[in-house]
Amino acid sequence: MRRHVSAGRIAIYVILIGGSLVMAFPMAYALVGSFCDLGQFYARPWFPIPTKPDFTNYRLMFTAEFTATVDIWRWIGNTLVRIGWYTLITGTIAVLAGYVFSKLRFRGRETVFMYLLSSMMIPGIVFLIPTYIMMARFPGVGGNDMSGRGGHGFVDSWPALLITGWVNVYYVFLFRQTFRSIPDDFEEAARVDGATTLRCLKDVYLPMLKPTLTVLVIFQFVTFWNDYQWPLIVSSGNRDIWTLALGFQRMLLTGAQIKGFASTGAVDYPFTFAMAVVATTPLIVLFLSLQSYFVEGVQGFAIKG
Amino acid sequence: MSTSIVRPSEASDLPFRERFARWRRRHREPIEAWLILTPILLYYSTFFIFPVVANIFVSFSRWAGVYDRPSWVGLGNYRAYLKSPYPLTLFNTVFFTIVILALQTTVAFFIAVLLNEQVFGRGLYRALWYIPTLTSAAITAQVFFVFISPYAGVLNAVLEALKRPVVIWTLEPGWMRFFVVGFSVWRGVGTPVVLFLAALQGIHPEIYEAAMVDGADYWRLLRYITVPLLRPMVIFILITGTIAGFQIFETVMLMTAGGQYSVASSGGPRNMTNVLLLQIYKDAFVSQNLGRAAAGSTIAGLILLWFTTTNMRIMGRGQVEKA
Repeated sequence: MRRHVSAGRIAIYVILIGGSLVMAFPMAYALVGSFCDLGQFYARPWFPIPTKPDFTNYRLMFTAEFTATVDIWRWIGNTLVRIGWYTLITGTIAVLAGYVFSKLRFRGRETVFMYLLSSMMIPGIVFLIPTYIMMARFPGVGGNDMSGRGGHGFVDSWPALLITGWVNVYYVFLFRQTFRSIPDDFEEAARVDGATTLRCLKDVYLPMLKPTLTVLVIFQFVTFWNDYQWPLIVSSGNRDIWTLALGFQRMLLTGAQIKGFASTGAVDYPFTFAMAVVATTPLIVLFLSLQSYFVEGVQGFAIKG
Repeated sequence: MSTSIVRPSEASDLPFRERFARWRRRHREPIEAWLILTPILLYYSTFFIFPVVANIFVSFSRWAGVYDRPSWVGLGNYRAYLKSPYPLTLFNTVFFTIVILALQTTVAFFIAVLLNEQVFGRGLYRALWYIPTLTSAAITAQVFFVFISPYAGVLNAVLEALKRPVVIWTLEPGWMRFFVVGFSVWRGVGTPVVLFLAALQGIHPEIYEAAMVDGADYWRLLRYITVPLLRPMVIFILITGTIAGFQIFETVMLMTAGGQYSVASSGGPRNMTNVLLLQIYKDAFVSQNLGRAAAGSTIAGLILLWFTTTNMRIMGRGQVEKA
């Protein structure tokens, strides 16, 4: 657009900087507050800048006494396992399906594609209850008999956190679009040299899919790093398999109690902040280092709409 | 014939193998397609289609906890949705969805327009606006609760410092709604900012230059060029935002539970912030009433399905008008 008079430009910067400060305030507040002890925090609770940074809240997370009940490292490990698994399985399915729907010609292609797309119209709530019942009544596992009674099925065990939601139609769509943007010539040239389909996928397409794969990895990372609802429903009873978001959420208060404030009833906010900082920092680092892929991913989801 | 030296059994299937190989070569694409698709479709039908169908059946049953034997109750669970607190949860869900979406989209639009000007440090602003979206609602909602906690929360500490009476925020429905909206906008505004910015950058500068030659001022450019060109993006944001907004859950559950982990008390005060998904969760896992919960899911699903299809029809009509 055109250049504006300086008053207009000043207004733009005032709004932008002011708005950005509002957006950043909660996070800056939590970050700064996490280095306070309680006394410093309550001296100036609206913006608790510590006179001398206090690392107690972070040091506590490494102590044996603390990790005996609040095992954040195990929860982070569990979360990383889920992230790895869901990137792999969802990515494989999306790449294969994207290839099928873009490069292979067969009767019923559009019908099958619409069948897959149909779940995009259905909100996640609808799957919640029946999928939970499926997990709890899964026949023949977790003490269940073949009619799904007597035990707990997959509830509170690892499979419940890993066997649902493999197919993500958004990624199928994204990969289909990416495949479409690649001319057929590459595959044809490879086939003349005797390459099979798997070989074409691996050696011809995979290098060209890298940007889309990066988008998949970072969005799966964010999604499963933060995943709370499903772990809450199927794994609440087994803290060994808790994921980061669930464990942190459940233990924010317990952690403060271990620190010794249980009797007073006061909640140790700086400690809560420290846990929030630990849970959020990896995502911010990921975002700042791969910002353009995030933007591309968000746009990719919009273009399909 | 050269095949005469081959033993009879092989002789009979050699042509078959040959034929099979030829058939395979000729139909390579469909064969490979179905080899790949069959396991995917089986999985998809089990974990995506079956639950939707099953949910409808569950919603017509009384099912007290997963291990109970369900019994048919017809429309009983749906009739319960006419009684308290269900109409209120539906109202709250719609209220939150509309207010959050309206605020978020408006703010995002203007921020994106400003970012699209040649501003210094655009990447930094964009990062600051998008980062809240990355955070876990489960964790940041708790951080927000620090501000509104009635027991030595930050807002009350500020009020005390100003020698004002403290407020038990968690008992004030108006304030709690305000906080839920504020937090959701804070966490949700990043995506529309990025989307609007991308759409704005896709508009050719020549369009603006042409209009400026005709003497249009800044607001007219915004009103008659930018807004119409962003229409598809606005519709996309509204549709996806509504679907997401209808499923608001963690925010309400964790901000309104009174600082303790107690689902039963969340959605308060007096259900004034209770939303559909939270009520479904409570029905299923606190009251062990799976049939009721499934009915709620079906109702939510139908509302959203109606909303999406209506919107798509309107969108389709818009395209026809343009053509």
